[in-house]
Amino acid sequence: MGQTPSNDNPELEPNGKPWSQRAQDIAAVAWPSFLTGSVATMLFFAFIDPLVLQDATFPGWDLSRMTGYALGFFFFWGIAASSSALSIFLTRSGTPVTRD
Amino acid sequence: MKTDSAPQGATSYYEARKKVYPREIKGRFQRLRTLAVFALLGLYYVLPWVKWGDRQALLFDLPARKFYIFNLTFWPQDFYLLAGLLIISAVSLFFVTALAGRLWCGYACPQTVWTEVFLWMEHWTEGDRRQRMKLDKAPWGRDKILRKTSKQFLWITFSIWTGFTFVGFFTPITELGARLMTLELGPWETFWVIFYSFATYGNAGYMREQVCKYMCPYARFQSAMFDRDTLVISYDTQRGETRGSRKRGTDHKAKGLGDCIDCTLCVQVCPTGIDIRDGLQIDCIACAACIDACDEVMDKVGYPRGLVRYTTEHALQNTQTRVLRPRVLIYASLLLALLVGFGYAISSRTPLLLDIIRDRNALYRMTNHGLIENVYTLKVMNMDTRAHRYSLEVSGLAGIHLDLDDKDILVESGEVATLAARVRVPENGMTGSGATITLTLQALDQADLKIVEPARFIGPAPGR
Repeated sequence: MGQTPSNDNPELEPNGKPWSQRAQDIAAVAWPSFLTGSVATMLFFAFIDPLVLQDATFPGWDLSRMTGYALGFFFFWGIAASSSALSIFLTRSGTPVTRD
Repeated sequence: MKTDSAPQGATSYYEARKKVYPREIKGRFQRLRTLAVFALLGLYYVLPWVKWGDRQALLFDLPARKFYIFNLTFWPQDFYLLAGLLIISAVSLFFVTALAGRLWCGYACPQTVWTEVFLWMEHWTEGDRRQRMKLDKAPWGRDKILRKTSKQFLWITFSIWTGFTFVGFFTPITELGARLMTLELGPWETFWVIFYSFATYGNAGYMREQVCKYMCPYARFQSAMFDRDTLVISYDTQRGETRGSRKRGTDHKAKGLGDCIDCTLCVQVCPTGIDIRDGLQIDCIACAACIDACDEVMDKVGYPRGLVRYTTEHALQNTQTRVLRPRVLIYASLLLALLVGFGYAISSRTPLLLDIIRDRNALYRMTNHGLIENVYTLKVMNMDTRAHRYSLEVSGLAGIHLDLDDKDILVESGEVATLAARVRVPENGMTGSGATITLTLQALDQADLKIVEPARFIGPAPGR
């Protein structure tokens, strides 16, 4: 971060302050999983029609294609987010590597 | 994700984030950025309204599983083209990054572009940097309420329009608009309009360049494409140091001072809050605001422009900058090959598909006339923009014969026809228990529009 000489005039202060660790963690979980979830949704539904999938899973339900896409997207986003969250948890809670 | 409203002193895990007050700046590069905003957002907001014939020119019709791009119609089966397009975009980004650094971040990224528009609205309603800081510190009064409400009104209206336009790429926008006016949007349309509006509002209104610093993967790995010949925005340390304020008209060189008057304007205009004079930093999104700010100051004090400028590390070290280097040539040739391949794939694409599904209930049947019969379900997909009549022929075994319920195969544009096909072969026509036959679907009105698909034909085990 750029540290300019602190000044009494607030106008001369640089913009912003770093995010807290927690905020950075949330961002690092939510955003990449959103991206990968979107790609997974695209790949999956390019090959599978939600209506065909519904016939094979819950034929009794009345779901539209749009509902299928939306559920699929949130499913993939959720799965990716839980994986990211676990990774962060594991790297944060493990024994730190010490080097001499 | 709004951390700036967390109460201080309370048991909040969120550190109260200091608000970013980027100072407005005018100059050549800011004019270029404004131009980019108008061009890109213009495309975004106008394109869904453009018509092509009697339909929307650009429509990703998810409910119907068809993409319309001007005169082309794409089907799920064309997915490889979309994948190719994504790869081309990625390689283009690598190529541009190696050559000219983070041009994408500064001029074209949706995050920067929408943030810019939200900053304009903030500027119109709350004034410049100094006024905004003062307003936030001031107690709530008529003026503050009025200014803040106007800002929120502009932001929210613009966000909703953005969300509406987004959904308009996936649902015909004129109908969507009509349904919006009568408040008859479908549940998912409503949901996605709100989802995208909220994302725009939060990202461009509040998170802004923090997204670049903490959330963007490209910002982290773009340095891998960099080398000493890449165009970067840099402060000329040799020329600028020793920095310091001075009286107008003094001979600063005699006093041992460089050209930097330490006015900190480059810091105040920086949307990510860095000091460009500290050297190349990963937080720099190359928006060039500091160049414009510094040029203006250099003009005022009568020094030459370019103390902060687009340059390369080699140029700063007074050595030759090489534009054509292996990295650039590799990216360029890869990009060229991909583009040629993509162009060929699009132009040689046959807008016709034939899916052959074997009857799962019976492998084969013996007819009264001693023929082996296999039954297939055929799906003929006409991906062309007009209707076609087709003929279907079968070959591959001696005496093979095709029997269709309806010999007249007429498929409208964008439609799928399902046919039951019975293929019969005399018993002596087969040598083993299975053989590969060939089905040829040919458009009657266009010689080059045909598709050849193999299928499996099953008969009784030999020796029976």
